[in-house]
Amino acid sequence: MSLFSELRRRNVIKVALLYAVASWLLIWIVSHLVGGVGLSAWVSDYILLLLAIGFPVALIFAWTYEITPVGLKKAVEVDQTQSIVYKTGQKLNAAVAVLAVLGVAAVIGEQLLPEFEPPPPLVLEEIPLKPVFDFSAKAEVPREITSFNLPNGLEIIVWPDHDIPNVVLYNFVRAGGRNEYPGITGIAHFFEHMMFNGSEQREQGEFDQEMEAAGGANNAYTSNDLTVYQDWFPRSALKTIFELESDRLMRLAIDPDVVETERTTVYSERRLRIDNDNFGRLYEQVRATAYVAHPYQNPVIGWPSDIENWTQRDLEDFFKTYYAPNNLTMIFSGDVTPEEIYLLADQYLSPIPRQRPPPAITTVEPEQQGERRVLVEASAQTPLLHVVFHAGAEGDPETLHLELLLAILAEGSSSRLYQTLVEEEQIALDVGAWQSGGFDPGLAYFAMTLTPGGDPLAAEARLLGLLEEVVLEGVTAEELTKARNLRIASFWRSLQTINGKASALGNYEVFTGDYENLFAVPEQLGAATAADLQAVAANVFRRSNMTVGVLRAPLDEGEQ
Amino acid sequence: MRSALCVALSLLAGLAWSADITLPDYERVALENGVVLLLSEKHDVPLIGLRAVVRGGSVTDPAGKAGLTELLATVMQKGAGDRNAAEFAAAAAGVGGRLSISSDVEAVAVSAEFLSRDAELMIELVSDVLLQPTLTEAEFIKERERTIGLIKAAKDADPNDLMPYYANGFLFGDHPYGSPTIGSEASLADIEHADLVEHYASNFGGDRLIVSVVGDFDLAALKARLSRVFGGWAPAPGELVSVPAPETAPGPRVLLVDKPGATQTYFWFGDKGVAIDYPQRAELNLANTVFGGRFTSMLVTELRVNSGLTYSARSTIDRRSQPGSVMIKSFTETGTTIEAIDLAISVLGRLLDGGLDDAMMASARNYIMGQFPPSLETGSSVANMLAFLEQHGLDRSYIDEYGAALAAATEDSVARSIAEVYPDRDGLVFVIIGDADVIRDDIAKYGSVTEMSITEPRFQP
Repeated sequence: MSLFSELRRRNVIKVALLYAVASWLLIWIVSHLVGGVGLSAWVSDYILLLLAIGFPVALIFAWTYEITPVGLKKAVEVDQTQSIVYKTGQKLNAAVAVLAVLGVAAVIGEQLLPEFEPPPPLVLEEIPLKPVFDFSAKAEVPREITSFNLPNGLEIIVWPDHDIPNVVLYNFVRAGGRNEYPGITGIAHFFEHMMFNGSEQREQGEFDQEMEAAGGANNAYTSNDLTVYQDWFPRSALKTIFELESDRLMRLAIDPDVVETERTTVYSERRLRIDNDNFGRLYEQVRATAYVAHPYQNPVIGWPSDIENWTQRDLEDFFKTYYAPNNLTMIFSGDVTPEEIYLLADQYLSPIPRQRPPPAITTVEPEQQGERRVLVEASAQTPLLHVVFHAGAEGDPETLHLELLLAILAEGSSSRLYQTLVEEEQIALDVGAWQSGGFDPGLAYFAMTLTPGGDPLAAEARLLGLLEEVVLEGVTAEELTKARNLRIASFWRSLQTINGKASALGNYEVFTGDYENLFAVPEQLGAATAADLQAVAANVFRRSNMTVGVLRAPLDEGEQ
Repeated sequence: MRSALCVALSLLAGLAWSADITLPDYERVALENGVVLLLSEKHDVPLIGLRAVVRGGSVTDPAGKAGLTELLATVMQKGAGDRNAAEFAAAAAGVGGRLSISSDVEAVAVSAEFLSRDAELMIELVSDVLLQPTLTEAEFIKERERTIGLIKAAKDADPNDLMPYYANGFLFGDHPYGSPTIGSEASLADIEHADLVEHYASNFGGDRLIVSVVGDFDLAALKARLSRVFGGWAPAPGELVSVPAPETAPGPRVLLVDKPGATQTYFWFGDKGVAIDYPQRAELNLANTVFGGRFTSMLVTELRVNSGLTYSARSTIDRRSQPGSVMIKSFTETGTTIEAIDLAISVLGRLLDGGLDDAMMASARNYIMGQFPPSLETGSSVANMLAFLEQHGLDRSYIDEYGAALAAATEDSVARSIAEVYPDRDGLVFVIIGDADVIRDDIAKYGSVTEMSITEPRFQP
């Protein structure tokens, strides 16, 4: 009797087949559980290992033992005439067949019954944006932009652009300085660092190593309102990017040793941007003075004692709450189609479990009741003067008017403030103005670097005089045209690159609730009038709404 | 295992598309007076990018007048043609255009970016700023004083911004590459209005000019216009002086710049490197990508990720018509100054001793090629690249064959470049900005220390 026929007789081959089919089904089920209900990935690895070890054991068992009407017996001890191996074999065949049918049905069923809506329509032809210069019309919303939501709440927008074989991903996380409170200031920014520091599957450093080896690069920034992650990569790295992004969102490791190293890195960043840079020192103090209640008063990088003291628990809670898919918006722009992004997102990102929405930030900064002042004494050859006023939130209609007004006042060397303060009177070496509104009302911010030995009080008086002029007399038609042209040119400039497209689309989606608002910018610029600008000036540039910050050398040092 | 597979797969992918990265077609027109025009149409957005380069730059600053060329560039846009300073600024901004002029070590460059409908006006402004700057004495004095003030302001801010002036000054000494392009408080104070006018007259002319324009325009019409506008510009008197090869004093030597009360020490070390014509550019870029040119570089991994000593560390190879610097820079809390510098030197040692292995080569190659296309995505960036190639006598193979050169580089060829270009551990030149009272004694071990204060009105001791 050959070994093979004896293997057949003892049903070893059928057992092997049954084992294989059952294992395959088990693996299929587990891999879907890992995706669906957030079962850890190690579980599937563990089961795979057990199944592999079990295989030879099962075969040896099948060879050695035989099922008889009176129970298990060693095969060599069974009387061949009494053997029921044939019947057992038929049962095994039936079991294989049932399991195989179940498996095939599951796989087919999965194909036939998608978990959510079918893929978006076929990719539309990419049409260059039609230039709009006359401000009378909306720019057309490019038809090739597609957006969809995964069932877990993750919002995805795709802007195909095939000019270069590259792709940009912006992941907007709705977490920033605004979501912090005493004890954990700086934690959103700290997460911006921790997100690169390893997962349960990847050691610290492997995220970046894999991304860069595939040709990609990344960065991230944190603001008062958002933490934004950026990946720039060749099309060929698309799948790698999905693997890496889903891994860190699903299985971030918050290793206590790594946390300690990263604290010192962040401290170094704080020394770089704030402690050893006079602008940073004053900026931090001015914001902390202008706000008394709203969390915009805290520096995004965090107060030093908070950087030193947040706990493992703080970090875990923050991650769970704010890095939930329902708190993210991802923008892809570049050499991709919506279909492939949809399919990859379904595979890699839809398994991330939804969480309860983050707590709402309800604190409203109370109306300021009189001007505030803050002085920073520091070693300085050139004094700094910052003057700020409470203004609007990003989505407010007034915000565009203020943006135009600030362009007239301080954008470029033809602006009012530059011409007067820098060119004509030489009070300042430089002057800048911007507004910082986000989800909540921000500040209109004026910053001047004074000429060496300059008098901050005199400079302040001159600045306020110029602002009062705008309140009383408004702006000229020529100035309004210039400001509109500056904005329309920067609108087009921002849409030159796939990076600019992703950034602009994401910011409009997150702050205004609809990315299509981006394309209304030309029309809105056209609708703004000189009266609108004067009205916003009158509303914002009030002394009782003002905080003044000065940085200068201590007086005894300055007088030497 | 998985990452090895990843590397292998992405290497294949990288090779597959590296052939795609080429410069767009462009037309090169040489006018009789020596002006070179480089033109390429690109119609995806209604914008035009322009770069006008005048060969020369800060290396033409006369001895003792460091900063003259850059100051001249600033004053050139303070009134030109029929417009005074305010009118000139308002003209460009009025149509939302950007126009700036800046001075680099070996060229003065005008950069402009504007809506295609405004091409006529913006080209007029570019030609006025180059051919007809008014250079009034009032504007000159104002800008000279303002520049001096801005240097003082920079000394109150992040020391990284000023590091290049101290570093090149200490490394190159009296060679033109050692002179601060921005000038110093002392050298600027010695510049007179007559110097400015004379410097313009002797260093600007059609034979030095390259005009590169890429964007939404009709090529034939623009070529005719530019030929008319720049074709009549007389050549500059005399020959363009070529820069001599720099000789640097041997290390080890240290410049300590005292910034009292600084809680962080900013350090730089390096030596003379190689010129723009160095033939193994691909090898060098592979080596520097791995060593200090990206986030997973050896320097960032050691100084930031593994030790938390700093927020940032990098290495740069500055290639000019003659060898510039090859350098490493970072910063750290004052108390860990020695630990961080020692670690950075040991990482340099690892590069010199170990070179790059296969996985590092593959990763760096993919990284460079993967990040390359966006660098030529806009009209302005292509215009800048075309002007750069023309300025340095390079042709389009510099871009078109770069992928092939990266693919052809081997561990051995990279190792040879590392040995040729990176400085020896024992002969380094250091510049350290920090609180001298705290670090003075400890840094003496790196070489003979020269000390100066950050408030001294110059960048060289």
